[in-house]
Amino acid sequence: MRKNAGLQIFAWIVFAFLIVPLIIIVVTSFGTNSTIQFPIKGFTFDWYGKVFNNESFMNSFYLSLEIAFIATVLALVVGIPAAYSLARHKVFGRNWIKSFFLSPTIVPGLVVGYAVYQFIVIQFQFPIFQGLLLGHFLICIPYVIRVVGSTIEQLDFSIEEVSWTLGCTKLQTFIKVVLPNITSGIFASFMLAFINSFNNIPVSQFLSGPGVTMLPTNLMNYIEYNYDPSVSALSVVLMLGTIVLMFIIEKTLGLTSIS
Amino acid sequence: MSYVELNDIRVSYDNKTDILKDLNLSIEKGELVSLLGPSGCGKTTTLRVIAGLIEPNDGEFIVDGKNLTKVPVYKREFGMVFQSYALFPHLTIKENIAFGLKLRKEKKSSIDKKVKDILAITGLGELGDRYPKQLSGGQRQRVALARALVIEPKLLLLDEPLSNLDAKLRVAMRIEIKRIQSQLGITSVFVTHDQEECFSISDKVAVMNKGIIEQFDTPEEIYKNPKSEFVARFIGFENFFDLTPIEKGKYKTVDGTTFLSTRQWEPGKHIGTIRPDDIDIVSNTESTATNTVSGTIKVRTFLGKSYQYEIETSIGALLVNEVDDVIYQVGDTVTLMIPAHKLIIV
Amino acid sequence: MTQQRRLPYIILAPGMILLIVFLVLPLVSIIFPTFFDGGFTLTHYISFFMDEYNMSIFWRTIRISLIATLFCVFLGVPTAYYISQSPKKWRGLLMSITLFPLLTNSVVRSFAWITILGQSGIINTTLKNIGLISKPLTLLYTEFSITVGSVYLFLPLMVITLVGILENIDSEIMEAAETLGANRFIAFMKVILPLSVPGIIVGSILVFTGSLTAYTTPQLLGGNRNIMLATFLYQNATALGNWKGASVIALIMIAATVIVMKLFDWVAKRMDKRGEASA
Repeated sequence: MRKNAGLQIFAWIVFAFLIVPLIIIVVTSFGTNSTIQFPIKGFTFDWYGKVFNNESFMNSFYLSLEIAFIATVLALVVGIPAAYSLARHKVFGRNWIKSFFLSPTIVPGLVVGYAVYQFIVIQFQFPIFQGLLLGHFLICIPYVIRVVGSTIEQLDFSIEEVSWTLGCTKLQTFIKVVLPNITSGIFASFMLAFINSFNNIPVSQFLSGPGVTMLPTNLMNYIEYNYDPSVSALSVVLMLGTIVLMFIIEKTLGLTSIS
Repeated sequence: MSYVELNDIRVSYDNKTDILKDLNLSIEKGELVSLLGPSGCGKTTTLRVIAGLIEPNDGEFIVDGKNLTKVPVYKREFGMVFQSYALFPHLTIKENIAFGLKLRKEKKSSIDKKVKDILAITGLGELGDRYPKQLSGGQRQRVALARALVIEPKLLLLDEPLSNLDAKLRVAMRIEIKRIQSQLGITSVFVTHDQEECFSISDKVAVMNKGIIEQFDTPEEIYKNPKSEFVARFIGFENFFDLTPIEKGKYKTVDGTTFLSTRQWEPGKHIGTIRPDDIDIVSNTESTATNTVSGTIKVRTFLGKSYQYEIETSIGALLVNEVDDVIYQVGDTVTLMIPAHKLIIV
Repeated sequence: MTQQRRLPYIILAPGMILLIVFLVLPLVSIIFPTFFDGGFTLTHYISFFMDEYNMSIFWRTIRISLIATLFCVFLGVPTAYYISQSPKKWRGLLMSITLFPLLTNSVVRSFAWITILGQSGIINTTLKNIGLISKPLTLLYTEFSITVGSVYLFLPLMVITLVGILENIDSEIMEAAETLGANRFIAFMKVILPLSVPGIIVGSILVFTGSLTAYTTPQLLGGNRNIMLATFLYQNATALGNWKGASVIALIMIAATVIVMKLFDWVAKRMDKRGEASA
């Protein structure tokens, strides 16, 4: 009933700016020409076939999934107890410790990767895989501390006290009462950490070696020397992955919970 | 022609269900008119139509002979007090109040004087340089009022302005609003769901239900002579029973007893109603005399100044408030007197 | 200490230890040597800031980050306001349009602009087809392309941060301003804009520090001539084998991030005069 035409036009131009470039990629992935063209001539699914038959892409895809998953789980395992401790206990230097856990977000990703590479891989001769895993653990941990922490802070403390009066130990209470009530926070932080780890480039940039290259890094290296629609096709595959994740988040938590 | 006129106003958001159904309302200059009703009755919508925040689908809105139906809100020059107060959190109290004056490009000296005067009138004196967050609920309420009044509005609109205050402050503030309103002689429209608040403050009350005005009268008239069952229920008539009209002022109940009523009656109306206070317990035996009904006490509740009895009778369950020294017990059989001058037919 | 008092620290320990060993120690190990050349020295930093080429990279990074931030504010505030005011059923869709690019890989997002701005990209092809130009314009591998890429990368963050703030502004406040005689535009400028300043500041911190340290965008859209701090660090460490130089840049990037954050926080505190304190 109360609309503002000027504002509406402005906003939709911005939405177009956000979405049209990605739509262009989708279109170019079906072109028959061996370099990217827009508008396309002809129509083919060949480039998708090329992507799925490219062993290097597929290997780095599996590696990315593996690293993102393990790093996220590791971050949850050490992060949930830490977030609980920070939310519930009068820990000495609480705010400092919290900032410390969030500090990987202040250090630029490329610097994190560079430092981990220099120290862990070069100095201590860890395999690159372990270095990558640790680097990505550092990406994940702030999400867990922040999201799970705020969920615990919103949880009514008296339900834990009730549980103690009913004879549960602190550990039993944590498992039977606290955890079931923060599953949405845990799931949200899992999603956020996983997506950010999977998509991250700067941290992985230094941490790559023979047979150990993350998918985004691999794609980036490929783009520097190639300009064919298989890049578009792979991009579309990644976007489909994003859509699936967004759909899962929307159906479970609602998209607003991660923004 | 009245100062403010709403003629056949219709509002619908989806063009299927009407929020307001061809609503008509006339307000005289200087009057304070309340819109009273339960949530969802359309009272706030009516106020927002007057303010210009909603454009009606049909009908016209006239103030002082000018048709304002299509005039945008910011050109109407009405003051509005919002339920949430809607103070600007980034501005001081003075800046909040001066907001409207600055937009009118008034001279600084004139603005300063007007702000100072209104701060005095609303009893905010020394608080001018504070921010809204630093004030109590009652003080914020006064700021909202001052901000609406300072632009010397043609019409003052108040949307449940007291609902966020505690009970004591609410009484104090409604006296305050009435005082300032009559002091400045501003025509006002007040929206509320609280009948006591509404009766104490208004010159006239429009009781609304489902997008129509059920009754538009003085508070006394509405209190004494509700015109419909809805109005009666809303203002505290708790006993309702079916009657069959026999002749003017004479009715029969479902069990055949004759009931007389000396109150006015319109054809087609056949539901008797009476306040719990107006029924008397006349004896502890059964009787079939005119205007009496017998029954058994089911529940007794202590209300402080009186006892309330829920009595199961042949015309239905009735609530009776009794201040007598005689205290009846649950299970007692009693006869109730329903005075002819208190029995209202709706 | 009793078991009870120790427990909170025990469950904090694993995370703390992992962070100390795998973040703090590595950082110290790369930063520490930059201050020592026999004895304590600031030579590496002084010479970095004395070098014209280095400084051109430094200022380019600041310049691009600043322009990208300004554009994100300019484009983001009205858009976020539009989203916050739209009906519930639409808001989900609009948020999805905003979130989708954010959750899409940044390589993909930069690549999109290569296909648009490149020599044989969409803009050049279109302009050539309608006969406006005969030779392709140089749009890609310029500061312009990095800026566009940065805005594209970070605009969703700005919008989402602002929607959170704007949704919490009481809608009656806007109406109150209108009843007092302000039309929509004036009410927006005088009420909504000042109230969204905290969100603008949080969003600006994200955009500015993000662009300041971004690697993907300058790498893909900047080419060899438009190096920024992150790409310069990478170049030093790999192509040039200058480990110390890379570490110097690493500390400058960390310091710049922290300084920018503190600066914005300070501005926010100065501007937030809504008096929570002395009630």
